[in-house]
Order: sequence, then structure tokens, then C-alpha cells
Amino acid sequence: MSLVSSLFLVFVAAVILLYYVVPKNFRFWVIVAASLAFAGFLGFYTLVFVLISAVLCYAGGLLAGPGKSNGARNAATAITVIINIALLCAVKYYNVLKFASERFNLLFGATDTANTFFLFAVPVGMSFYVLQTTGYILDCRWEKIAPEKNFFKVLLFSTYFPQLMSGPMNTYAALSAEFEKAKEVKFSLARIEDGAVRIAYGFFKKLVIADRAAMVVNMVYGDHVNFTGFYVPLGVFFFAIQLYCDFSGCMEVVIGVSHMLGIELPENFNCPFFSKNVKEYWRRWHITLGAWLRDYLMYPVLKSEPLIKLGDWSKAKFGKKNGKKVPTYVALFILWFAVGYWHGGLWNYVIGSGILHFIYIVLGMVFEPLFKKIRPKIGADKLYFRIFQSVRTFILMLTGFVFFRSATVMDAVDMYAAIFRRGAVLNWANFSSSGMDLKNLIVLIAGVLVVLLVDAYKYQPSEDDKPRMFIEMLRRKGIVVLWAAFMFLLVSTLIFGLYGMGYNAGSFIYATI
Amino acid sequence: MTREEIYGKLNEVFQDVFDDEDITVNDATVASDVEGWDSLEHINLIVAVERCFGIKFTMGETTGLKNVGEMVDKIIAHLS
Repeated sequence: MSLVSSLFLVFVAAVILLYYVVPKNFRFWVIVAASLAFAGFLGFYTLVFVLISAVLCYAGGLLAGPGKSNGARNAATAITVIINIALLCAVKYYNVLKFASERFNLLFGATDTANTFFLFAVPVGMSFYVLQTTGYILDCRWEKIAPEKNFFKVLLFSTYFPQLMSGPMNTYAALSAEFEKAKEVKFSLARIEDGAVRIAYGFFKKLVIADRAAMVVNMVYGDHVNFTGFYVPLGVFFFAIQLYCDFSGCMEVVIGVSHMLGIELPENFNCPFFSKNVKEYWRRWHITLGAWLRDYLMYPVLKSEPLIKLGDWSKAKFGKKNGKKVPTYVALFILWFAVGYWHGGLWNYVIGSGILHFIYIVLGMVFEPLFKKIRPKIGADKLYFRIFQSVRTFILMLTGFVFFRSATVMDAVDMYAAIFRRGAVLNWANFSSSGMDLKNLIVLIAGVLVVLLVDAYKYQPSEDDKPRMFIEMLRRKGIVVLWAAFMFLLVSTLIFGLYGMGYNAGSFIYATI
Repeated sequence: MTREEIYGKLNEVFQDVFDDEDITVNDATVASDVEGWDSLEHINLIVAVERCFGIKFTMGETTGLKNVGEMVDKIIAHLS
């Protein structure tokens, strides 16, 4: 079941109705049942896997918690975390196997390139809940929380349906506090309205913008023998729009649904394309993944004995100021390799959303003293420099997106080479062969402008500050403005959403992504 | 060791880690008050504090400290 589907909306409506109708004590069981039903909708293997994962998480937490010897707790933590991470790696590695098997099948003359060599059911959303449950076990070991004795609370934590497929990732302390709070939440029309506006905005981002931008993306990435030169940066630019609106649109739906239940989830995006540098970008893009990897991977690595010893050695060798950076670079490399690997098991992900960003961040750190001296001389406090910083960061992100969207590393390298090759002439006829005719282009530009305006309102110069909430502003302006915004998003999605093109109510009813 | 004595040593650690002899911290000091105290430098600070006082913070303490006052509370707890 896709989050951007009519079936999901019906499911959510049924859950919300039941949630507010039953006595407050039963609400917990409604969302447990809804979460298991949702996992079941995603597939039998997903349901089985989330149950296994929850049992592992529950047992791991109890065994890693206090009251036993440190050796036993360490062993329990290591075993359960290794099982969790090994399962995640196996699924990530599945991408590599799938890719290899397709080549294998082609090699032996199979006409169908579907995955026939390796038949392996991949549970949906695993990348998210495996990290979340691993965090729970580590929190128990580090005594940040007491191990939960009620299995169903752990089950709900690991399977909570709005965030099961795509996050945002959460800690047990934060999410269980929200579940507790939700028991006392009263039904309010305002809560449902606010959630509905966010959900409508999510559908708008996904169906009106992301899937429309995909037309150009698919054309350029699919045929860079023909679409060369300026088409390549154009395709990558459209991919940035597609990816942002797709993932952040999904988060709007997830957070909106959860808000309706009175369970607040953390924001995962905070105007990333306004970032001044790559480091800031990653504090604004997929925020909960960055926070998870910082707390559960980078900090323990940096605080480990080998890295501390490396720091002592490098300080003695290169001096205090430069030497202390050596273990930081090592930890950052491990972190960014993990970020890349997490996005997919193939090297194009490891490079495109990992290693490349590591290089940019380290270069930024190395040259920071120089930048510090230069900035006052070039008017770094002026608006033009601020715009330059955002544009530069955006372009650096695009260089990674070339790898991220390509099928292989060689494919990405060829994309770069294609910039300098001669191919289809850059004209309207060729460009619109992707399906991006004038009407679609106008709709896309208008849609992007809406997102830009909303992000400009939300933007706070410090990434540590909570973004200003657009819906709160609409509500302050009055209920009519809020409803007007909702109707605008709803009607534009109905008319201009990918499946609504040419406006055909029939085709919209079956719209699923 | 009294709270004042801890702050005396802690100020030296902060000055050394952040390379600024003017830094003085108090209970309310948070990361944004000290230039250079980001997520990366945080661990260098934690390791330096551990060495100075001969203690070991848990990972939960390392990631959960809200301000310097909490850090001092944890130091006192570890020393007692």
C-alpha cells in the first residue's frame, strides 16, 4: 500500500474514526492493530519480518539493560545489534545480487530481465525500522532508557504504521512519550484539519511536482547517448526537484497522519536547498537519519579506544590543532560510507550520497581557516554572497545526484562524459519529447514556486532553530485561509496530479504510486 | 572536589579544547555559546574532560548532556 494512494487514505480514515470512537484505553490497541494490518498490506514477508524484528528488539533491550554483568550485557547488545545490522546489510546487498542476477540471466539468454535467479522477498521499510530498533537496544545498554517490559509497546514502537515505510526515525524515549500523551488527546476538528492540509501538501508535492519532474529525469538518465550536453545538468536539476518533493512529500503525509492521531513525529526536512554549506545541508536533509548516525555510529567510533589512541598519536605527530582532526576524518569517513551504503548496496549510492559528501565536508574543514580570513574581504555578510553559498551547495549536491540516480558508477561517469559529447540539439521539440510539454512545464514551475514560497516562510538561518510552521500561520490568518489552502492543494492535485492529467475522475480513482 | 573546584579545572579544559583562553563556563552554558562546539568537537571535549577528572562518561551521558551544569552533575556523580 503506497502512502500516496486512495487506499491509504481510506485506511487512515478508518483508523482515525476507530481511534477516537473507542474508549481512550483502547486507543493503544487500535494503533497496534492498524500497524500490523498495514504491515500485512505491505506483504506477508514484511509482516513476518516486522514481528521478528520487534521480538529481537524486545529481547535485546531486556538482555542489554541493567541488572546483569557488563560482559553479559555487552554480549547481548553485540549479538542483537549484529543480527539487526547483518539483516539490513543482507537486504542492501540484495540490490547487488539482483543486479548481478539480471546480468547473469541476460548472459544466458533469458529474455526477461526480471529477477529470476534470486527469488528473495525484501521486507518493505526495513532500512528505517532496523535502525530504529537498533537504537532502542543501544539506548538500553547505555542506560539512556529502562528496557520496556511490555512487549506490545516495543512492537508498536518498531511498527508504528505512518513511519514504518519511510521514517522519520525516532528514539524510544521520544515516541513512547508521544504514545503516552496521545492517550489523553481529545478529538479536535482543528487537529484533523491541520493534518489534512499536510497530507494534501504531501500529495501535491509527490503527484504534481515529483512525478512530473520525473519525465525529464527518466529521459536524460535513460538515454545519455542521445541526450547530452546541457541536457545532463538539466536532467540532474530536475532529479533534485523530484527527489526533494518525493521524499519530503512523503514526510508531509506521514507527519500529517500521525498528527491527526495526536502523535507528533520529528521533522525530517528543514529547507535543505537554502543551506550555506554541505555540512549544514545534511542537518536539514533527512535530519533523523543524520541524527541517528551521529548518536549511534559516529560518537561511539570517535569515543572508542583505537580512535582516541590515533588522536594522541596524530597530535604528537602533527601538532595539537591539526592532529586532533585526524580521528575526526576517520570517523567521518566511516559515517559517510555508512550513509552511502544505507541509501543502497551499490557503489553509486556509496559514492553519490556518501564518499563525495565526505570529501566536500573534509575540504570545507581543511580550508575553513583560509575562508575565515577571506570572508571579511569579499563582503561575506552581503546578500549576494549568501545566495552564492546556497547555489554553490546546491550544485555540489547535484554532483552527487548524478551517481545517486544512475544505475551504476560507470553509468554516472558516462553521464559526466556526456556533458562534453554531441547529441540531440537542445530545443523545445527534443526537450518536450520527454512528455514535458508547455502545459506540464508551467504546472511544474508553478508547483516548485509554491514549495519555494513555503520553504522561504519556514526558513530559519540557524538549522538548530525549529522551522516556522506554515500551517500555524494559515490558521492564524483564519479558518477560511486554511480551508482555501487545503482546497487549492486538493484541487490542483486532482487536476494536475500525474494521474489526473487531462482531468479524468476515473483515472484519478485508480491513482496509486 | 567542590563544584567550584570542578569549574576551575573545567574552564582550563574548555580553553584548551577550543583554543580560547577567555572561555569561562557556568551551569547554563550550552554548545551554541562556545564557538567551535559542534557535534565533532563535542567528543574531543568529552574525552578531554574524562582524562582531566579520571572518569568515563557512558554513551548515554555523552549524547544526553543539555548544558555544562549537567556535565558538572555527572562529573560529581562519577567522582563520588
